[in-house]
Amino acid sequence: MNRITNYIQKESNNVKLLLMLFLSLLVLTIATKGQFFSLNQMQLVAYLFPEMGVLALGMMLAMISGGIDLSVVAVADLTGILSCMLLKMIMPADASLATQIFVLLVILLCSLAMGAMCGIFTGSLIARIGIPAMVATLGASDIILGLAVGITNGSSVKELPPILNEVVNYRVFGVIPSTTLIFAACAGVIAFLLNKTALGFKIYMIGSNKDAFKYSGMDNKKILTMTYMVSGMLAAVSGLLMCGHFNSARSDFGKSYLTPSILICVLAGVNPNGGKGKMCGMVIAVIILQMLSSGFALFRNISDYYKNLIWGLVLILVMIVNVVSEKKKTAK
Amino acid sequence: MSEVLLEIKEVSKHFGGVKALDKVGLTINKGEIHCLVGENGCGKSTLIKIISGFYKPDGGEICFEGKIYSSLEINQSIQMGIQVIYQDMSIFPNLTVAENIAMNFELYNKKKLVDWKSVKKIAKKSLDHIGIDIPLHATVGKLSVADKQLIAIARSILYHSKLIIMDEPTSALTRREVDKLFKVIRQLQSEGISILFVSHKLDEVFEIADQFTVFRNGKLITSKAAKGVTDEQFVYYMTGRKIKEEYFTAENADMEKSLFRVEGLCLKNGFEQISFDIHPGEILGITGLLGSGRTELAKTLFGMYMADAGKIYIEGKEISLRSPMDALRQKIAYVPEDRLTEGLFLTQSIENNMIVSNIDRLRKKSRVVDFKKGSADSRKWVEDLGIKLHELKDGIQTLSGGNQQKVVLGKWLETEPKVLILNGPTVGVDIGAKYDIHHYLRDLAGQKKMAILLISDDISEVLMNCNRILIIKSGRITGEYKNTDLDSSRLQALITEEKEAEAV
Amino acid sequence: MKIKELLKHNECYVAAIIIVLSFAIHITSGQFFTANNLVDLVRSLIVPGMMASGLFMVIASGNIDVSFPYTAMLCMFGVTKLFQMMHYEGPVIFGFLLAGLMGMLLGLINGILAAWLKLPTLIITLGTCTIYLGFTQGVLKSSVISVLPEPLADMAATNLFSVRSASTNLGSSMPVSIFLLIATLLLVGFIMKFTMLGRGIYAVGGDPVAAKRVGFHVSGIKIFVFTFCGFIGGITGLTQVSLSGMCQINFFDGYEMTIIAAVVLGGASIAGGSGSVTGTFLGVLLMKLISNNLILLGIPTNWSKLMTGVLIIVGVSTSAYKMTAAERKVTSNILICGDGKEAADE
Repeated sequence: MNRITNYIQKESNNVKLLLMLFLSLLVLTIATKGQFFSLNQMQLVAYLFPEMGVLALGMMLAMISGGIDLSVVAVADLTGILSCMLLKMIMPADASLATQIFVLLVILLCSLAMGAMCGIFTGSLIARIGIPAMVATLGASDIILGLAVGITNGSSVKELPPILNEVVNYRVFGVIPSTTLIFAACAGVIAFLLNKTALGFKIYMIGSNKDAFKYSGMDNKKILTMTYMVSGMLAAVSGLLMCGHFNSARSDFGKSYLTPSILICVLAGVNPNGGKGKMCGMVIAVIILQMLSSGFALFRNISDYYKNLIWGLVLILVMIVNVVSEKKKTAK
Repeated sequence: MSEVLLEIKEVSKHFGGVKALDKVGLTINKGEIHCLVGENGCGKSTLIKIISGFYKPDGGEICFEGKIYSSLEINQSIQMGIQVIYQDMSIFPNLTVAENIAMNFELYNKKKLVDWKSVKKIAKKSLDHIGIDIPLHATVGKLSVADKQLIAIARSILYHSKLIIMDEPTSALTRREVDKLFKVIRQLQSEGISILFVSHKLDEVFEIADQFTVFRNGKLITSKAAKGVTDEQFVYYMTGRKIKEEYFTAENADMEKSLFRVEGLCLKNGFEQISFDIHPGEILGITGLLGSGRTELAKTLFGMYMADAGKIYIEGKEISLRSPMDALRQKIAYVPEDRLTEGLFLTQSIENNMIVSNIDRLRKKSRVVDFKKGSADSRKWVEDLGIKLHELKDGIQTLSGGNQQKVVLGKWLETEPKVLILNGPTVGVDIGAKYDIHHYLRDLAGQKKMAILLISDDISEVLMNCNRILIIKSGRITGEYKNTDLDSSRLQALITEEKEAEAV
Repeated sequence: MKIKELLKHNECYVAAIIIVLSFAIHITSGQFFTANNLVDLVRSLIVPGMMASGLFMVIASGNIDVSFPYTAMLCMFGVTKLFQMMHYEGPVIFGFLLAGLMGMLLGLINGILAAWLKLPTLIITLGTCTIYLGFTQGVLKSSVISVLPEPLADMAATNLFSVRSASTNLGSSMPVSIFLLIATLLLVGFIMKFTMLGRGIYAVGGDPVAAKRVGFHVSGIKIFVFTFCGFIGGITGLTQVSLSGMCQINFFDGYEMTIIAAVVLGGASIAGGSGSVTGTFLGVLLMKLISNNLILLGIPTNWSKLMTGVLIIVGVSTSAYKMTAAERKVTSNILICGDGKEAADE
């Protein structure tokens, strides 16, 4: 009993999130007269959330390090486009399944490398030149997206080899969408990185006080660059997921994901001022958000446009709640 | 008797669990120069911020010209005629001299528009008043610390002030500038203005004060007329100790070997031709005024600035210091001047603060960090340094200033340094912890044969704990002395007197 | 001496680049210094110029606002729809007043949240901007209004003068709303230079703690700058309608970035506390000069986004790099001030 109350006190944010998850599930189920609470719907949620979720993981790293990465969407779009073009180019016409999967893995590696390069570019702007993260990632996002638009002339890359779409739509044991597993893998890697490695520890510390970090004999430039590099790699994964989902690539696929990915981080308790944030909260927050998103889609009379309104409202509300509860805590 | 202007009664203030002020009182008469004294971290600054309305007290009352207030607002206190010159001076580096001086005054007069002619006129008048010539259109960020201090003073005398509070106004001034300031203060006194002068320098207090009040650890110790108080009594009031501490003499030092040697080190705009040698087991002190280049020197020796010329040797081998990472690699440790912004990760746990510099060495072969070993190491330092804490996982903010400083020290000792550089290590540290830290440093030098460089403006700290003392002035070393050859007033005089270098 | 002082200002460099660039364009295309090109350039400056001067205040106070294009969009649709519904036929000035008022309200929301939550203003305004966008699309169900209510249509058809280039036979006209731009620039310039409020904005941007000690109302100033930026945003929204003769949802796409970039190019530090209206205007001019003439400079339109990105990064890098380099040096001069002052005394 004691242990439970202890846990609730220590992880109050996660408990709050779980309650929210349960509540939104309940409300959506009642509101749709049970329609929402079906295997089909749950699978849809599980299939869709990773795109946004993986993107948000990158955002989280940047926010923990005390910055923000507004270029995640652009990186996802550019790497998605380039990977798809590459995929079309190198995939042999009548390859066996094994070859196809091998080619796809090569593409994944290329895509990760491109994401890392984009990340290193933005990271260097921040760490070496000293541009504030917000301006640097906004500017870099223009450059990266500009490349994407320039390369494609603003049109989409279509007629992809079917393998990408097939892999993304695959259900393991006929139940679990493969995208969920990809998200789980990414989340696992990032959780390991944050909790067990020196790099993760340093990301928390640099976000907490970058001057003290320097005065502790640590390498600010390297750590910041690496943070954005990892964020870029995650964005690349998300870009591939999007391309697989839509079975094409375009320079404006990820556009609507920017605010939600920040929202997920804030909801998960990642401190926008840096230094704080846990993976557990991120996973719950992503699922809550996708559930709400899919839930809204069930209501015919709520147009897609309201989504923006709701995301914005939720973001502001969550920030207000966080600040008010923080103030109460310190008052005690 | 003269009229009472300000009376503080039983005022208390807490920060988290720390009691900064405990039912203190203070009475200032009209036209009086009152000195508030105490060691760093005794609650002086907190009281000032309560009088200026920056903090709200937890209890007690403030009585100004017969009216009683439980707390003040910033604007209210300014309107009542209270002016504060903070230690950091609170000036705007991005604005011009004229604007910095006149802005508050215009605000005070509730002006809505800026009349640039009158701004310049006001600024000129005020600078003339204290007899100082600084170009009015210069951007303040580019001026020296002493000039900034003078601007802050010029700013405060504009008001129809009844009480001007100066928080350590002389820490950056040479003797001549101090004389100039004292002249201004006496002039203000003759105009019927009361001055609350905060300081920890004995000679200044005796020279200028009518009345003085001593705080120690957030408590009122005594308040009496300055006349007839002896040095010893005064030191006792401030430190609470009668026993004279013994001078550190470094008798275990190995004077044959050189552990840390600096030759002809230069930094543009910072310092010139700095050379010294620290033997294993020595504590070398460097002291000088604020803005004398002492902090720049400390930062250069830790790789924060890159020296333009000169060489640095450790155990006879020349090393290159291009960044703090190099310093860490070369086993140089640095306890920074500003603990809160440069030393601590305030949102992190005590343990994380302790292991940060050592994190790469905590990696196992599998690249995974061994946090268990980190905890064990931290626990060792907690015991060794006598850090009082509840749990290692608690936030660093739950600790008092002294314990926080010990954490910073512990962090660096864990890296097994050969050279330990400390810049103002006991600022904002309570007396108990200060005593602990000093003794620990002596042990490190005496037993571990570390080379320690102690940079500080705390005269008694340098005098008691450093076997050799260098004095730095305008970026140059102007003298080297054995601590046993000096006493505090002599050292104070050496620091503030001008053009010593040419005289020798 | 005077010229030396002048050369210290960032504005000088921007102005020099603008002049050089203008001649370069003229030489390569022969079409820069033609009446219709200049009128077109001025016309294209009106909306970004107004927005930039509003945003400049926010940036000078050490904050950031990315919601102003959405404020403009919401006010644009809000007022136009309202006029349509009411079949309003009165003077157009009330439309601008209404738009300004709506903008002020939206800005006030930003300001109050920013002052209260004390979180990065980027995230706060990112949140409110999605609300404003969602409101425009969802509640107002707006994407295009092609037939304007009469007062606005009238304003769109009114011009100060028209010019026609002899060589290309292209015509351009100068809209009335140029006065709005001039008025905004003068107003912001006046506030920043000649009022205590303006000096307070610089002070808060330079050092908020010191500003509080001195007696500035820091939260009040924060709320003011956001409200003012919203006000300008609202008016700009309606100005855009009067310029293009219609409402479209994508008018202000990507504006948040280009305007921030223009302000920073004009010499304002993103950390706050510096910059001027003149600089801001020159920054906008430079941005527009480049983006309007990309084709003349031989860059295909598809790459224009890339170009703005590069321009932003290059513009911001120079000032950021200067600051980073300065961190490694001692700026306040210990050696000279010690000796120099004594020398001056003697």
